[in-house]
Amino acid sequence: MDAVIQLLVNGALMGCIYALITLGLSLIFGVMNIVNFAHGDLVMISMYMAFWMGSYMGLDASLTPLITFPMLFLLGIGIYYALIDRTLRQKYVTQIAVTVGLMTFLRAVAQLAWKAQPRSLPYSLISGNFQIGSATIMTSRLISALVSVLVIVLVALFLSRTWPGRAIRAVSDDLDASSLVGVNQKATYALAFGLGSALTAIAGGMLMTFQQVDPTMGLRFGLLSWCVLALTGLGSISGLLISGIIVGCAEALAMGFWDPRARLLVVYLIFILVLWLRPRGVFGRK
Amino acid sequence: MKNLRIVSLLFLVLLVLILPFFFRSNQYGMILLTTILLYGVLATAWNIIGGMAGQLDLAAGAYLGLGAFTTGTLLLRFNLTPWIGIFVGGLVAVLFAILVGLPLFRFKVKEVWYALSSSALVEVLRIAFIMWEKIGGPVERYLPSYGSALYMRFSSYIPYYYIMVILLFASLFVNYWISRSKLGYYLIALGDDEDAAEVLGVNVRSSKLKALVIYAFIVGLTGGVYACIYGFIHPNFFSSPLSTEVAILGIVGGMGITYGPLVGAVLLVSMRELLRANLGGQLESLYLVIYSVVLILIVLFRPRGITTLLQDTFNKVFSRWVRNNHAE
Repeated sequence: MDAVIQLLVNGALMGCIYALITLGLSLIFGVMNIVNFAHGDLVMISMYMAFWMGSYMGLDASLTPLITFPMLFLLGIGIYYALIDRTLRQKYVTQIAVTVGLMTFLRAVAQLAWKAQPRSLPYSLISGNFQIGSATIMTSRLISALVSVLVIVLVALFLSRTWPGRAIRAVSDDLDASSLVGVNQKATYALAFGLGSALTAIAGGMLMTFQQVDPTMGLRFGLLSWCVLALTGLGSISGLLISGIIVGCAEALAMGFWDPRARLLVVYLIFILVLWLRPRGVFGRK
Repeated sequence: MKNLRIVSLLFLVLLVLILPFFFRSNQYGMILLTTILLYGVLATAWNIIGGMAGQLDLAAGAYLGLGAFTTGTLLLRFNLTPWIGIFVGGLVAVLFAILVGLPLFRFKVKEVWYALSSSALVEVLRIAFIMWEKIGGPVERYLPSYGSALYMRFSSYIPYYYIMVILLFASLFVNYWISRSKLGYYLIALGDDEDAAEVLGVNVRSSKLKALVIYAFIVGLTGGVYACIYGFIHPNFFSSPLSTEVAILGIVGGMGITYGPLVGAVLLVSMRELLRANLGGQLESLYLVIYSVVLILIVLFRPRGITTLLQDTFNKVFSRWVRNNHAE
């Protein structure tokens, strides 16, 4: 029983970070209906940036999002204007082809810059652990999860309370009507893409406090976040957290009770089953 | 015009057939040619489900791996020659395609979600085969009887080249034949607009399934040969990069054009391999950076495929040629 609780705690904490990564993806997908295959690789790039700042500037990984967040935001806007904007009117196949090209590009750049071996940072300000009942909790995981939840809440507030946030929601609900009431469609798309990419910076920095990074990680995070998104459906932010936690727990349980290698197998099986049985997601509104 | 087409087609076929004689002593050249043809076969097969039916399938690696593992395991366990084994491999791939395709098309998983679920499938199989120690496992399993023609284990690449040529012509022919058949028109209709096609009486589900099955069979067959070429089987044959690349070659070459994916494969794979050979030494991944930039540029500026660019150029040159001749 203790083992189960321990696994569930770890899985749920990881799940919050998955929810944060997926929030970025769901912003982009929900607003532009664009499938960003490179989303997982943006997480990987943010992790490498955190690694760089950690090892060359002595900055703690948990603080790197302060710098990488604006950088990834600009990168996202750049990607939008350079690639996505040109393919908006094309078939979805072309859009996917462009983001797959971007995915290959980011992965190759990471391999070029950091070689293929995994990298990790030796320590973090928030490392250490403590005991609650029978479960041992890693401080870094707990704080990462809390930061993720906090950021998700902030983004939800941004989307519901501020003008640009409401513009994003309006464009995603009805493109024509929103341009009639004066929403600049292109700028809103760019904002959504930039914000969606920038959220990976926070996830990447927090992940770097307790994980290592290698260039093939993008595939894993990409499919993981698609799985969470498929489970959630579009438009539900609390659903995002619940699905993230479900996926994280399923992964942890598979790792503990079946085989460490089976962790992704279970995630992908959930993904495929959800697609077959509930193509609109479990918590979605669309 | 029609005569010219037939003549140029015959010329190309002849060129493909005699190409190995120029590379006889050049092992690297033969590997390169065989690799290009391998991707050409996969991308041409992909054209059936991806190009014509418009389903962005990213699971080529799944069928390839199943074909390779069936062929390899039959050879290792039962000493069955791959000449039969590859066909069993193709059938296993077909069985798997039906198993996957039935629910996918029944529950109307399409577009993005189809692409993602097929992409997840490759990873599922890869992990499952790593965990299934009886058949797969994390270590390569080497195939026996090196150098025996009876077991399709040639010591030179030239026979493999010709096997690939046969597979290529077969898949080109299947493509051409489908595009002229009722199924082909169904596929093109549902690729354009699924709901409209359904209203007009196209059986969307069974047409898609047929396309998927034909594609899976060709890729499974190729997978068996792939295992013999490499001389081992390993779960990494269920490769996501390969699967996305096959689809990208199809898109870049020109979806729905019979020889489009082949053109894409010839141009891009040879470019990639030459870049790798020339830059591979110091900067391992530089070739991938350049390769992906070229991919993105082609997709951005020629979304209908690089083949349309060639066609346009050909038409321009040809019409100028005709005009000049008439002027004389």
